[in-house]
Amino acid sequence: MLLPRTPTLALVLGAATLPCALAAQVTTVTGRVTSDAGVGLADATVSIPALSVGARTQDQGRYTFTVPAARGAGQTVSAIARRVGYTPMTVQITLTAGTVTQNFTLTESALQLGEVVVTGAGTSQTRERLGNVINTVDSSLILRAASPQNVVTALAGTAPNVRVRTQAGDPGSSAYVVIRGATSVTGTNQPLFVIDNQPIDNSTISTSGGDGSTVTQNRAADINPNDIADIQILKGAAASAIYGARAANGVILITTKRGQSGPTRYTYSTTETFDKIDRTMPLQTDWGQGSDSLSGRCATPNCAGAAGSFGPFLAGSTPVFNHASEIFQTGLTADNNLSISGGNTRTTFYLSGGETGQQGVMKGGNNRYDRTTFRLKATHQLLEALTLGGNFSFYDTRGDYVQKGSNTDGLLLGALRTPPDFNNLPFLDPVSGLQRSYRFPDPTPSSIRSGRGYDNPFFVLANNGNRSELGRFIGNVSADYVATDWLSFHYTLGADYYDDSRLEALPLTSSGEPNGDLTRLNLNNLQIDHNLTASLTHDFGTNIDAKLTLGQNLNSRRFRSVSVFGDQLIAPTPFVLQNTVSYTPTELRSLRHIEAYFAQGELGFYDQLFLTAGLRDDGFSTFGASKRTALYPKVDLSWLFTRFLGNASESGVLSSGKLRAAYGETGAEPPVYATITALSSTALFGSGFGDAIGVKQSGQGGLVTGGALGNNDLRPERDREAEVGTDLSFFDQRSDLSFTYYNRRSTDVILSIPVNASQTGAASQLANAATVSNKGVELAFNMRPISNRASEWSIGLQWARNQGRVVSLAQGVEFIPYDNEGFTGSIGSSTVGYAPGVIRGLDFARCGYGEQIDIDGSGNLQSIDALCGANAKKGSLFLNNVNGRGLPVVDPDETVIADPNPKWTGSINSSYRLGHWEVSTLLDIRHGGQMWDGTRSALYRFGTHKDTDIRSQIGTFGQNWETSVYPDVAGPGAGRPAFSSEAQWEQWFTTEGGSASDAQAQFVENAGFVKWRELALSYRLDQPTIVGKLGVSSAVIRVAGRNLKTWSNYKGLDPESSLGGAEFLTQGIDYFNNPLTRSFVVSMTLNR
Amino acid sequence: MKIINVQARRAAALLLLAGAAACGDFLSGGELSTDPNRPTQATSTQLFIGIQSNIWAELESDPTRITSMWVQQFTGTNFQYVNIYNYGVSEQTTNGFHASLYGGGGLVDLRKLEAQSAAAGDSLFLGIAQVQEALLMGTGADLFGDLVYSQALKGTPNPPLDPQLNVYDTVQAVLGRALVNLSAAGPSNFGPGRADLSYGGKAAKWIKLAHTLEARFYLHTAEVRPGAYAQALAEAPLGITDTSDNFVAVFSGNSNEQNFWYQFDIVNRSGYLTPNTSFVSLLESRHDPRLTSYFNADDSDISELRLAPDFTQPLVTANENLLIWSEAADRTGDQGTALTKLNAERELAGLPPEAVASQALLAEILTEKYVSDFQSLEAWNDYKRTCSPNLVPVVAGKKIPARLFYDASERQTDSSIPLPTQQPTRNANDPANAVSDATGVACLGQ
Repeated sequence: MLLPRTPTLALVLGAATLPCALAAQVTTVTGRVTSDAGVGLADATVSIPALSVGARTQDQGRYTFTVPAARGAGQTVSAIARRVGYTPMTVQITLTAGTVTQNFTLTESALQLGEVVVTGAGTSQTRERLGNVINTVDSSLILRAASPQNVVTALAGTAPNVRVRTQAGDPGSSAYVVIRGATSVTGTNQPLFVIDNQPIDNSTISTSGGDGSTVTQNRAADINPNDIADIQILKGAAASAIYGARAANGVILITTKRGQSGPTRYTYSTTETFDKIDRTMPLQTDWGQGSDSLSGRCATPNCAGAAGSFGPFLAGSTPVFNHASEIFQTGLTADNNLSISGGNTRTTFYLSGGETGQQGVMKGGNNRYDRTTFRLKATHQLLEALTLGGNFSFYDTRGDYVQKGSNTDGLLLGALRTPPDFNNLPFLDPVSGLQRSYRFPDPTPSSIRSGRGYDNPFFVLANNGNRSELGRFIGNVSADYVATDWLSFHYTLGADYYDDSRLEALPLTSSGEPNGDLTRLNLNNLQIDHNLTASLTHDFGTNIDAKLTLGQNLNSRRFRSVSVFGDQLIAPTPFVLQNTVSYTPTELRSLRHIEAYFAQGELGFYDQLFLTAGLRDDGFSTFGASKRTALYPKVDLSWLFTRFLGNASESGVLSSGKLRAAYGETGAEPPVYATITALSSTALFGSGFGDAIGVKQSGQGGLVTGGALGNNDLRPERDREAEVGTDLSFFDQRSDLSFTYYNRRSTDVILSIPVNASQTGAASQLANAATVSNKGVELAFNMRPISNRASEWSIGLQWARNQGRVVSLAQGVEFIPYDNEGFTGSIGSSTVGYAPGVIRGLDFARCGYGEQIDIDGSGNLQSIDALCGANAKKGSLFLNNVNGRGLPVVDPDETVIADPNPKWTGSINSSYRLGHWEVSTLLDIRHGGQMWDGTRSALYRFGTHKDTDIRSQIGTFGQNWETSVYPDVAGPGAGRPAFSSEAQWEQWFTTEGGSASDAQAQFVENAGFVKWRELALSYRLDQPTIVGKLGVSSAVIRVAGRNLKTWSNYKGLDPESSLGGAEFLTQGIDYFNNPLTRSFVVSMTLNR
Repeated sequence: MKIINVQARRAAALLLLAGAAACGDFLSGGELSTDPNRPTQATSTQLFIGIQSNIWAELESDPTRITSMWVQQFTGTNFQYVNIYNYGVSEQTTNGFHASLYGGGGLVDLRKLEAQSAAAGDSLFLGIAQVQEALLMGTGADLFGDLVYSQALKGTPNPPLDPQLNVYDTVQAVLGRALVNLSAAGPSNFGPGRADLSYGGKAAKWIKLAHTLEARFYLHTAEVRPGAYAQALAEAPLGITDTSDNFVAVFSGNSNEQNFWYQFDIVNRSGYLTPNTSFVSLLESRHDPRLTSYFNADDSDISELRLAPDFTQPLVTANENLLIWSEAADRTGDQGTALTKLNAERELAGLPPEAVASQALLAEILTEKYVSDFQSLEAWNDYKRTCSPNLVPVVAGKKIPARLFYDASERQTDSSIPLPTQQPTRNANDPANAVSDATGVACLGQ
């Protein structure tokens, strides 16, 4: 039997030398696998590769399997026991009739050199042979993760330089993962996801735009983490070159669990998770609705109340309301999984079903995510040389979402802007039954089609018009054919198909569209992947072994999307298209093919020096017709120098050591149809404020020149990466250290370069123009100070740093903005000299930069440095003297105001087991990186932020106002009070000191954090005397706290959240983002 | 070993089979090579419709809102509009309205339409396209001054800017050719027909529009070319004199087919703009009936009429043409015609006739034009030329902005366009700060 995980040399040889055994009696092989500390090891595999039989150990390390009489009796064969984290052990056993007892004692292996690692496209290698870094995340880590429902979120803190960012705490929220920094300057830089040798879709597609709208799922979140056996993260180009032009951002290889021959095993697990928001926004409760210190409340029918909270000081008797917390509740996630697995000598199966139901932390029932999954994975050895496999999974994912973000119908936007003296309840007017909000508190029936300024947050929560319903099938059939002792084939044909039906609706009286509207989006995606590999092996004498893998990959991706926007609801409900006045449909279809051939050769010398070289010839239908194919080479070298030094036993102070070096190239394909210049029937004419008309008018269909010029010379992006490193283990493998340095240069990076409209009639063209470099180091250190039968203690540290830099964009282009993040004051961009994804905007003028600014509107430019004076510290805030007040001046030159990329990331994990008890913890550290706190900016503007309590005091820059951003001040206004009255404060907050200001740099904050991801306590019940009575073989009860605490200087809700989800490159924008949650988890797992 | 050889041969056959499956062109053909979502050919009518939408946007969207704030018909009351109202203007303020002169629906498609019309012998369509071109590029000259025009769409790297006055001259030449084409008869003169939502493809109406545009753009050069008043006076009588000939934007009210003011004020940016109290006071003091058609009952917003999604927006009107006629007559010494045309316009506006003379007449003409050119770029264009009304800047010590910056995308791709800080603050047709307004009072805002 050849499964993807174990097509080793021995196996191939073994399968090919099958004897025609004739003995008549069955042999039962049984025993125990224990660690050298004497602890029984579950989940180890014991197998006789030559006979393709084996089993997985159960609780306390016991295993049993039988060898059919026809196959092995009487002969002596190799039996091998393997377990992740231990050195494999091989023994010779003689198969005699009856029972053969064979125990294994495995020693811990820090570097896991003997572990078989899936390296992609049907290839695998033992870790000792790898000249590059592949991080392995095993199933226990995934299930312990901060939010295990989404496999991407679960990767947080598991491997160095694998940076995960979860969009929000909403159920179904997407997670963004970037490996070793971003290589593309416009794309989302998400790695390729491959499950069981089959690429799957991990797109994140928002129904109607990521700034407002609702959270969106990333599609890999459909996968049930309970089905995952392990995840391999291919980080560098050398590791992922075998995936060619799809691998520029790394590859995440997921291997699902499989059955083992032997007794049928049952595992049932149930997890209840209680979620709460981590912190609430600090709001003031002293000042009422209004402006100019006068009340702006209104109570006459259909009147419009003041937008801000710059009203009078509230008397102590005035009731005030906590708008930051009143909308939240305790969320509950119930996760139940059952798996049944087993098999006989020829057939194995793994059958599972999982159900996750998540009610989020926002009140009301429209904040849900439910996922049901099934999987059947089976293999059957049809002929001695031929094994067939099938692996079928089905996913039903559905969710209800809440409008969020930059959106007058968004939850926090309306909630946090509400003045403290306004009661948002009842949210429906008792008489008219219509929405009331603080800006429209007394609605009459005639206002059924009038906006409310900002929606009442409880009205937002009651909107049940935001949904997704997805059905997805991922499956493959495979065949393994061992042709001769030196040649074998592996074939996989897989399909990933889903149909996602979305609805996003705004009811009548919604502030964004008082007439109501809705968007129906249907996404239909099919990916078929054919992967055929042939492996040839040969030993040149005893000291040199060779393996050559040849492969062909054909891939087809078909995408269909139909989106229909229905404008103006006729009746208040239902939210269906025929209940709207007019419709705008948008249909997108695409088809992309890949035809690739690859070869990978491996040479091993003296079992200590290993060389791997590979080449992929990638043909893509999306490449320009001038060159349809691209070559991606790789080479890596691994040297186990401790074997050279004579330490074959992997013990002693320096137990083992490996030096490695690798070079590889990968790419990123161009977007589909970018080679074609076409006309547009959907172009819009209007402004960035949202007012626009289409090409089609009054039943007349028009066409205009499209904004994007086609480019028939478009090539894939090319990443060239070299890495060197070492893996060392010490003190009889009690401790290990890995170090990697890498240097990646991405050239031909595709970006939309502006083209001159007066010459081309177009606005942009995709071109291979930019160069991006990423350099970094990764360090991992693990230690097991205690390891004995009674107790174990392990500590792990990871540290990584990536320095990304846009070396150049197109000629003469210093930056490219991303309009889809939508803020005029803080624009996501790629800017030369910075990592991709920095935020641009304006700042107040600072001293020492040679600025010449018209500071008084006179039209005369003045030298800021001269006004600052010779003694001013560089970077000091320039303060102008305006009628005796010291006020800053907006510097009109746009610059980079925030870099969301952290300086370094790290994690600390530790677990301690004492008998049946185990306690474990994980700290996740992100140092540096900035965020634009647009929420604070807006709440200053509206006077609801706690900081605006300062309005009763005198405020002076450099002394008691904005000192964290502008510690030093200079200029003629330095030291002069800026604000001496409520009126001056209000004037400031509503213009230059809030979200109306051009100078949004004042709201950029350090977003570094330390998050205590987990503290868990578990008890394992496997004493035979007890579990026997319960009818199970073992049980694990676990209680855990997740995201227990965040240490951060960030003033907003959560430095980890992001306004846009995984569909955006720029990740550091906070504009009424929903925060992540803190959870309490209780779980129980029963095994039989 | 024989068995093994058979297996090896079978294996080789399997590989060949897989290879053969890919021998057919797997990477091109069908949906792989042609975009199933976008067409690549357009008829003249389809191009016309796109150009029509673009022109409406140029004349009614953000530039008009912004300049209406600067001439204090509106007040910016929220977010960016507060800043723009306070003369905070940058490259971003232009919002793409410079590049859209050339892009889809702009000059690139006008040139295609003109070429296709000429090839088809459709001089009506050609003439209409030329009027559209003149309207678009003339408006561009009003907003930005010097423009790439003579070298436009020629594939010239870093094309030079034509001086603004040359652009106006070219616009006049294009209008002259348009008038020739519109007047020519021919068997293949089909024109856009009902796709022309403003004029139904009627040559007579386009001819009137062409003359009014000639008058308008002559007027825009009059501050530096005093002879332009006489030129405007020659064209205005041939222009639009009946409101049924107004050049208008027509909206069905369906999504993406809605009046810009509705979209901005109701749908997207409610509260960003409110009626300027001094403008409201002016209308009140004149007992102007337009107060109720411009604004709602408590003058807190635009009127419901004008905020309807399907409100037909006047863009070039009989009122404007009559007042150009009136002013041009006055400026060239014919106060009789000036008063007659002023009163003709006042009648259209629902105002009683007036009997004023000399300086008061000019002041009255300009004031009436200021009121009449509501939601129009012309109020700002006239202000730049005349300093009427004599506005007090809303920010003490600042001047009322007299041009918009070029779009950053065009500046970055054309070295002829200077950095924003090095761009002029005024255009060539409005070179110096006006010393005084029409009544001789010192100009406060220029």
